[in-house]
Amino acid sequence: MGEIGVNHFLFLSAALFIIGMMGVLIRRNILIIFMCVELMVTAANMSLIAFGWELNSLQGQSFALFTIAVAAAEAAVGLAIIIALSRRVRTPVDVDEMRTLRD
Amino acid sequence: MPWDVIIFYMIGAVCVLSAAGVVVANNPVHSAIFLVLCFFNVAAIFVMLGAEFLAVAQIIVYTGAILVLVLFVLMLVDPDDLPEFHAARPVQRYVGLLLGLILLLEVGVAILDRSVVGRRAVADQQEFTQIVDLVGGNTQALGRTLYTQYLLPFEVISLVLTVGVIGAIVLALPERLGERLYRRRGTISLGHPRGTDLALPAGPVGESPIAGPTPGAEVVPGGYGRRLIMARDPNEQPVIGRR
Repeated sequence: MGEIGVNHFLFLSAALFIIGMMGVLIRRNILIIFMCVELMVTAANMSLIAFGWELNSLQGQSFALFTIAVAAAEAAVGLAIIIALSRRVRTPVDVDEMRTLRD
Repeated sequence: MPWDVIIFYMIGAVCVLSAAGVVVANNPVHSAIFLVLCFFNVAAIFVMLGAEFLAVAQIIVYTGAILVLVLFVLMLVDPDDLPEFHAARPVQRYVGLLLGLILLLEVGVAILDRSVVGRRAVADQQEFTQIVDLVGGNTQALGRTLYTQYLLPFEVISLVLTVGVIGAIVLALPERLGERLYRRRGTISLGHPRGTDLALPAGPVGESPIAGPTPGAEVVPGGYGRRLIMARDPNEQPVIGRR
């Protein structure tokens, strides 16, 4: 392993994505699940940039920029949903118990 | 071993360990701090990949905006409302670990076995770096790409962000805001205790029930003969008919 190649970055990205996925599957705290989703989005970003780096093109970075913007919008809406849930539901917010978004 | 390989392995190790810390930490605040550490290392990886602008955007957007938002929500939400930290059933935990290992295997095979199908923009890395430097750097090159090739997606993404922010505000708006305004208006015009009419036995969810009319008070429901009481404080309870 003398030279650093795109496979290194792809494996790192895969590791981050899988750790995030395990967090979503294992944990039941909705905020931790949210953070793990952010981790998965970042891992996908890293893959995009690594492919762009390998192909000597800027398209990967452009796509990663769009992904960051979508992740920001998703963060705003997701956190607002968490606040609304914790305000309306009196019982503990358990992701296994949540079935509806209505009152 | 060249230096960049050593640095890559150091950054990657911290990255993976802090990501694991996000999953296993007991305290959600510790999870958020671990996530900040992980994102800083991801930004360093971006710098290694030649994406300087995205590295800065990563730090500003994720650690600057999203993580601060997460911490705010952590402080706003009552910790009792969140479930027990490791409350997942053991079945769930083992299934999650198993699925993760399977996916790691699949992705590993796919990465080692892949063949890139795609058009290289420029034949070799050195020429690409020269072209980017000619424009003025990574940020300028990315800006040119965004505003020529991806102009329409760029506008659409701004629309997505605007709609997302409006939706977030609508979702997080407190319900009680409207009720409080209503109650204050009622206090001024009606002569009832706390300004509410008779047919309101309990308050909104989570509040103490609204006090009904005082016993012995003569209150004409809905009639025109009641006294007009101007209350400065909406929670002040004027006594009617008894003194």
